Order: sequence, then structure tokens, then C-alpha cells
Amino acid sequence: MRNIILDNVCPFVNGKFGKPTKMYLVDGKWANGAPEGTPVVDAQGALAIPALFGLGLDFKEPLRDDIYTFKDGVAAMTRGGFYGGLYESSANAIDDSLKLAAIQQISAKYGLSIAFLGAFSMGYQCKDLSEMVELADAGVVGFGDGNQDCSRTRFLRLAMEYGSMTGKRFFFMPLDDSLRHHGLVHEGSYADTLGMKGIPRVAETIAVFRILEMARFLKVPVHFKQVSCGETLKLIERAREDGVDVTCDVDIYHLILDDSCLFDLNSLDNVPMPFRSAEDREALWKGLESGVVNAISMNHDPVLAQDKEVNFEDAVPGAVSLETALPAIWKPLSERLGAARAVELLSTAPAQLAGVAPSKLSEGERADLVLLAQDSPKTVEASMFAGQVWNSPLLGKQLPSSIVGTYINGNWTEV
Amino acid sequence: MSALEIKHLFGLRGVSKHDIRLILDNAKQFREILERPVKKVPSLRGMTVVNLFFENSTRTRTSFELAEKRLSADTVNFTSSNSSVKKGETLVDTLRNIEAMKIDIVVVRHKGTGVPKFLADNSKAIIVNAGDGAHEHPTQALLDMLTIEEKLGTLEGKNVTIVGDIRHSRVARSNLWGMTTMGAHVTLCGPSTLVPRNTELMDKVTWESDVKKAVKDADAIIALRLQKERMDDALLPSMREYRNTFGITHELLECAKDKVLIMHPGPINRGVELDSEIADGEHSVILDQVTNGVAVRMAVLYLLAGGRANA
Repeated sequence: MRNIILDNVCPFVNGKFGKPTKMYLVDGKWANGAPEGTPVVDAQGALAIPALFGLGLDFKEPLRDDIYTFKDGVAAMTRGGFYGGLYESSANAIDDSLKLAAIQQISAKYGLSIAFLGAFSMGYQCKDLSEMVELADAGVVGFGDGNQDCSRTRFLRLAMEYGSMTGKRFFFMPLDDSLRHHGLVHEGSYADTLGMKGIPRVAETIAVFRILEMARFLKVPVHFKQVSCGETLKLIERAREDGVDVTCDVDIYHLILDDSCLFDLNSLDNVPMPFRSAEDREALWKGLESGVVNAISMNHDPVLAQDKEVNFEDAVPGAVSLETALPAIWKPLSERLGAARAVELLSTAPAQLAGVAPSKLSEGERADLVLLAQDSPKTVEASMFAGQVWNSPLLGKQLPSSIVGTYINGNWTEV
Repeated sequence: MSALEIKHLFGLRGVSKHDIRLILDNAKQFREILERPVKKVPSLRGMTVVNLFFENSTRTRTSFELAEKRLSADTVNFTSSNSSVKKGETLVDTLRNIEAMKIDIVVVRHKGTGVPKFLADNSKAIIVNAGDGAHEHPTQALLDMLTIEEKLGTLEGKNVTIVGDIRHSRVARSNLWGMTTMGAHVTLCGPSTLVPRNTELMDKVTWESDVKKAVKDADAIIALRLQKERMDDALLPSMREYRNTFGITHELLECAKDKVLIMHPGPINRGVELDSEIADGEHSVILDQVTNGVAVRMAVLYLLAGGRANA
């Protein structure tokens, strides 16, 4: 435990930021006082925000620990102010209880609130069902597709039908593989100008429609990961009105970037769900405002330097996000939607989707927080990222805010 | 006004009229040199050019190689079939190794969009794009423009129609940027599965689905090569239907101007996008394009090398 006294800090309490005060952070709690000799940090009016919860964590270990490890991931979470997250690794399908136990054991060493998605098919292959009942009993909070399209609709039906016994939610990244057809970027005017193969919006909406109909038919709760276009939000809204239990998230970078960045041909902008048009980006923001979108996701996906130091089309898709998410999104998000909704979208709502207790700041209670200097811009450098990766679309760009430090799991970390 | 504003040639989108004019004017001078008994000038003596071709190419590579030799440069050919790329070397490592051999200019062809820019970002060499994916093939467009100017005097106000697989064509993209910059009216025409759907950023050209209307006022028609893979990918039902609908035939030319120029970037699928008698007929300037290709590439290399050349 590393205790700290934050002086001149504005904590987020009961839905709003209070006046500058002193916070005693002792043994993981917001205490009334601190032992003598506890170091003091002058926060200079920085915001103490409840720590965040990251949807879409992939730390690669054990099968691809040459790329990234759990230790790296936890370091990224600590730097970025995350107390927990929902883990689903495309490299490591959690498709039996032994694999779950192994990764739970690794995770437990670090003491963060990490929940796990099981794979509903063995190896995400959509050929054989995983033992979902046993996985649910062992602690998975839902079942995922590993961000791979399940094109066999009968298998999808059987997986959801069998999995319905567990009462767990099914998580999908909706992208029809056949319509994707080797595309890497949004099929729009930028891709057509550059002559690049595009992924049309219908690749997403057709996948969404198919899954929604299945959810309606089988009465199984579903969640859509990384929704990228306005049309999808309309389908989700309509299905909800019809009583389908459906939730969704948007990826943080889809709120910041759109396909106009393609003209830079920067391989760091190559991500699994393509950045769509400026109109789509605005539709996603409106979805946050209206409540159609439940949460903002992180989709922290490390990629080695040699797989990004290539031309755009040969790069391995993926982006890391944990270290820079809050300073990148806080100002635009809180200015447009208010601080309370911003905290909800980044912390309480994603935690709720993963069935994890929310982080909140209340004197005398457990406290996990991130200290943000919201008007202190910072340029993103490779050294800001944990592990040996730096595959961020924001590399070299200036963020409007900067993290001063984090207090997670009873440890103060200056950033 | 004798220096190029660009440092590399990635494509023609965004290249100024000044630069295109300069390249075409220089190419005209080199064109004259190519008619002389001794076709060689010392402009790039002492400089080394590598032709880095990751895609198969015969005519473009040969044309570049000839241009380099006519300029007295030392030339190295590096193709994917004989390169370390086949042994798993990354593009950056390949480039750095080549650069360590003190190369001045890299001429690159690659299936990936933006590879020339990527190489320029990671190298000190001058980069010339010889075709990147379906993005751009700027020297092909420049030689098309040179041919039209040579035959019609100017591009300003001329109507140029490009027919065929626009969606997958780097030639069409470079031509639409270059020719519109030089004041030509460009019309693009092709089957609905082979034209881009999102043309908002390519709004200086006319999109026409009826090939008869597309060629009606054309001063020059460029027929694009139809790749056989398009049939495998279900983008077209058959070569036969393509020929009957979009092929440049005698019947189609009856709808066009009497003195319309027929052009093709080669190699031709005779009887598909272009009938043999048209390819070899009075309207065809296809072999002039080939000759102009060498002159244009000489001009590009010469101008990009700028003061770095010995001559």
C-alpha cells in the first residue's frame, strides 16, 4: 500500500465535482486523516474522477506473451486510471474452465477487478460448442465471439439457445465476413479515392439484424461491441422498443477519429472495426446523448512494432488505448454530455455490463480514482505505453488533458 | 520556374499545374532526344536508381529502366521473385538495406496503397511511384497526357473518356487528378460493380453509365484493361457480356467523333476491352503512349533528382 494526501483536489461526489479540498487516501480508502509522514501532492485543482472500467481488454498472455503480458496490461490500466475491465482475448479463447482458472490465477496476482468473457465456441471457430454451463459456474460474466464473425447462422442459434441456460449475455462484434471481403477500411469516399477495399456499413447492419432476430427469437440478452455506424443504432433502438434485451458500446477511437484520417495512410489507424464517416461519428455521439449507447469501450489490443512499421494494408489491425483514453476523451465528452454522464459512460456503465461493482468516491469508503488535469495538454509519446508496444492512433498527437496520477487498489502512481 | 514543388512522385492528386506542366515540357524535350541516333544524355551520371518491383511488371519496369539508362544512371532491378522479401524480410528492412548501398532514387511498385509514401517516410531516397494498389500510377497518367497534348496540341478543354474497371484502376485515378488539373473534362464509365460508389471527393469528373453517351463528345478514349480475376470474384458475368456492353468496337466508335484518339495502358485483352482492328487502326495511339512513357519517366527522374545530378 502506498498512501497519499491529495491537496487542492476536486473530487467527483454524488454526480458532480466538489470544491478544492484535501483527500486522505489511506489503505485503499478515502479516510478522515493520514498517518504522519504521508506524502502530499498539490493537485492544483485537478479532478479526482472515479477510476474507469475498460471493456475489451486483450493482454495476449499466455499464448502470445511475446507481444504483451498481463503485467503489461495491468501497468497500462494503472497509468490510465482503470480499476477493472472486461477481458476477452482473440489470441486466447477461454473455452473451458481450466483455461479460465489459469487466467483468473494470473489476474488475481494484481488485485484489479477484471471480469472474463468465455468463448461460446471452441477456439472461436463456430464449429463446436464450449462448455458454457461450466464456464458460467466458474465465473465468466458472458460469452463472446473473440471479434470474429460467426457466419454459420445455425451454429449461432444453437450456441445462443444452449447458452440461454446460463442467463448470461452474448457479446458480438458485428461484421459480416462475406461482406467485409478483405476490406480494412470504411467503404466511403476516402477509401474509393485511394482505391482501397472498403467495408460497407451493411456488413455491420446485416450482422446486427441477424443477431437481433436471433435474440428476439430465443429471448437471449445480447451486447454489440464497437458499434460504428448510425444505422446500427437505429436497429438497436427499434429492437429495444420491441422488448429485446440489447446493449451496445462504442469504441473510444470511433468518437475521436473518422475515415478522413485515411489520407494519412498511417498504419496506426488500421483497427479491426474501421473508422467510418464523420456523419457516423456524429451519430455515435448522438447515441451517447440519447442513451442508445450504453458505454464507451477501450478495445485495448497490443500489436508489435514490426507489425505496425509497415504500410497500412500490411499492418496488423489493433490499437492500445488504456493509457491515453481519459485525457483524450474527457474534455469533449464532459463538455458535450456533462461530467455525470461522462463518468457513467467510462466507469459505472461498462462495469455494470460486466457485472462488476462500480467505482465511486465517498468519504470513508474504498476509493479508486484518477487525477486529471483537464486543461493541461500533453503530446502522446511511445514511452507513455506499457510493455513493448505503442500502437496508438494518437501517437504524436496532442491530448487536451493529462493524467497527474492514479490511486488504484491502494497504490498511488504518479504518471 | 524550373524546379518541381514535389520532392517525390507519389501520385497526381494534389500535384500542381506548374509541376505537371514542367514534367510534360521536359518530357517533350526528352522525346526529341529519343529520336536521335545517340539517345543518351549524362543527366543522372553518378546516380543510382533501384527499381523495386513487388508486383509483376514487364513494360513499366522496362520503360523505367530504359529511361534511367538513357539518363546515364546506374540501375539495379529488385523484384519480389528474387528478393529477400520472399524470405520474410519486412519492407522497411528491405529499404534500409538497399539504402545502405547508397541508392539515390527508388522506383517502387507494390500492391499496397501508400507504399511509396511509407518508403519516403522511412528513407532519404527520392521515391517514384510506379503503381501502388488501385491508388495511383502517376507516370502512366503523365504519358497519357503527353500523348494527348502531342496529338491534339493541348489538354485544356479536351474531353477524355475512360472506360472500364475504374474501381480497381490506379491508371484511372491518376488520370482523373492529372487531367482535370490540366483543364481537361474527364468522363468515367464502367459497369456498376466496377465503378466506385462514393465519388464525393472525385467530383471534378463526370460519371456516366451509358458508354455511348460517354464516348459521344470524347476527343480521346482510354480503354482500361479488364483483369480476368473480376469474373472469379463475381463482379462480372462474362468477358463476352463485357465486350458487348463496354468494349471499344467499330459500332461504338460510330457514336464518337471522327478523329477520336484510342488509348490503352497495356497489355491489351484484344476482343475484350478493345477490338483488334481498333487497337491497330487509324485512331490508335497506343504505341505512341509506349514511346512517350520513356520520355515522361526520363523527365520525372531528371526533375526529381534536381541539383543532386552531376550533369
